[in-house]
Amino acid sequence: MVSLILRNMARAALGLVVLVALTPILWTTLGAFKQLRDIVTPIPKLFFTPTLENFATILGNPTIRDGLVNSVIVVAVAVGIGAALGIPAAHTLARHARRYGDDVQFFVLSLRFMPPVAIAIPFIVIYLDLGIYDSLGGLILVYLVTTISTVIWLAVPAFDRVPREIEEAAAMEGCTEAEVFWRFSLPIAAPSLFGALVFTFVLVWNELLLALTLAAQNATLPVVAASITSLGKEVPWGVINAATVVLVLPPLVFIGLLMGLINTMVRGGGRAKG
Amino acid sequence: MANIQCAGIVKSYGAHPVIEGLNLQIPDHEFVVFLGPSGCGKSTMLRMIAGLEEVTAGRITIGGTDVTHLHPGQRGVAMVFQSYALYPHMTVADNITFGLRRAGVAKAEIDRRLADVARMLGLDPLLDRKPKNMSGGQQQRVAMARAMIKTPKVFLFDEPLSNLDAKLREKLRTEIRKMHNTLQTTTIFVTHDQLEAMTIADRIVLMRAGQIEQQGTPDEIFDRPATRFVADFIGSPSMNFRLGRIENGAAVAGSVRIPLPSGRFSVSDGQEVELGLRPSRMGLVAEGTAGAIRGTVVLVENMGAEGQVIAEVDGAEMSFVTRHFRDLSPGDTASFALAPEHLHIFDRATGRSCLI
Repeated sequence: MVSLILRNMARAALGLVVLVALTPILWTTLGAFKQLRDIVTPIPKLFFTPTLENFATILGNPTIRDGLVNSVIVVAVAVGIGAALGIPAAHTLARHARRYGDDVQFFVLSLRFMPPVAIAIPFIVIYLDLGIYDSLGGLILVYLVTTISTVIWLAVPAFDRVPREIEEAAAMEGCTEAEVFWRFSLPIAAPSLFGALVFTFVLVWNELLLALTLAAQNATLPVVAASITSLGKEVPWGVINAATVVLVLPPLVFIGLLMGLINTMVRGGGRAKG
Repeated sequence: MANIQCAGIVKSYGAHPVIEGLNLQIPDHEFVVFLGPSGCGKSTMLRMIAGLEEVTAGRITIGGTDVTHLHPGQRGVAMVFQSYALYPHMTVADNITFGLRRAGVAKAEIDRRLADVARMLGLDPLLDRKPKNMSGGQQQRVAMARAMIKTPKVFLFDEPLSNLDAKLREKLRTEIRKMHNTLQTTTIFVTHDQLEAMTIADRIVLMRAGQIEQQGTPDEIFDRPATRFVADFIGSPSMNFRLGRIENGAAVAGSVRIPLPSGRFSVSDGQEVELGLRPSRMGLVAEGTAGAIRGTVVLVENMGAEGQVIAEVDGAEMSFVTRHFRDLSPGDTASFALAPEHLHIFDRATGRSCLI
């Protein structure tokens, strides 16, 4: 009986925490569908006539649309290359260079110690000289420092947790090192690697400072969103809310896609073809 | 099936040699156990035969083929690991058949062989499960099935039972031995458990610090240990050792005096030796019997049918095994003796047995 009460209390507490965490997001989402007069009213309204006007403004605005497209391209390529280079590198570090592994891992992490402001100004000069200032390629290049290093840093422990005997058992069945990596190490480490990729994605998706300094015309979404909030007295709250929703959606879609991919990968491991 | 030859095997990590010039012949069909304390190089030796560890120098041949530098998958060997090493993302059936599917064996043939090994190891009801939902014993059976289905020339077992509880260990040990009796595949089995080695092996290779200390049948190892190290390592309860010397055709250590059977030992009068008395070869005798050892009982350990009695003799403990342990209790004085034909004498300087 006591345990039942305790359990229900624990559930209630958990529910409260979830509510507190989700309310701002829900309120923002609601706000995205409100007209300005429904938002600035002194008494918050839960029921109102929804409108898609804010989204129309957002998606009709070429700056925001371009920002979204730029963000998707830059982040997808940066995370993609980061994963393609970082994950195999992490496997090699975990398996063949364990002696140097800690040093390399620390070096990679140390790249993240430096505040981005410190490199922003020199990068502007270098990029101007190289002629890649205000280009998506230039932004991708600087983001690769973040993505590759973060992926390596998070993926080495993921591969460390794959039992060495499993890789050896696979080798005993005739698998080459590449096969061992693709069919065993990668699927077994996949759930941890998934977390690493999501973390890396969020890191660069929300990146503002470098994007602000290294791009002008080809701004990414955070830059555009930041510029909306500094529009002066007539704050278009509905538009800001809609912009927030648009900014948050792609990461969610990306996480969903990645999860699906990993599920098929884990299942596919069993369906080895001769 | 095949014989295995290891010639002049050297293994070193950097400048530190682990195995130095080891030579070993394993004939076809034999069940060999590598036995030794941890760090003696037995697992390293097995892993070199498997191809998981590179050989620094020397040659390994399996069935007449030089495999020293071959990839593990091309040696025709199958291995069972201590940690089972099952593929966690595959079902039991997929785990077992992975190697065959990879090699492109026909589906019908795979199904037939899978049915065979599953029946042999009692895995039929488990084939669709994932390894993590199974007990240690079941997982190790799957690992054995995965090794068996390939019909390898050689089976390698790396401490396969060490992670299991005592009862299961015994059961699987019997199963492994039965499996060998049926399949007759040359097998190398690594363990640090001397009882496991004694019960399962055709031949024991006892290793110490990267070298073979002694090899022979379990009986030879038990009854004719070549060194004090072997004598100490094999047998439970372990052998009693006493420093002593040879005097007038008898081995003397304090109050212990055991006449030497003629022609059994090569010792000379006055030689400094160490006596080895196996507890299981000793027993209670009537008070005053010639050659009896007298001691004060310190502890009696009940082992069921027999009991180990630990007695104090000349200020040091000595144990023996008797079925009449229930008549003794701590504080009693006991008379016991060793059958003289089971006495072991080791040279004190070299540790080698003085048996002829």
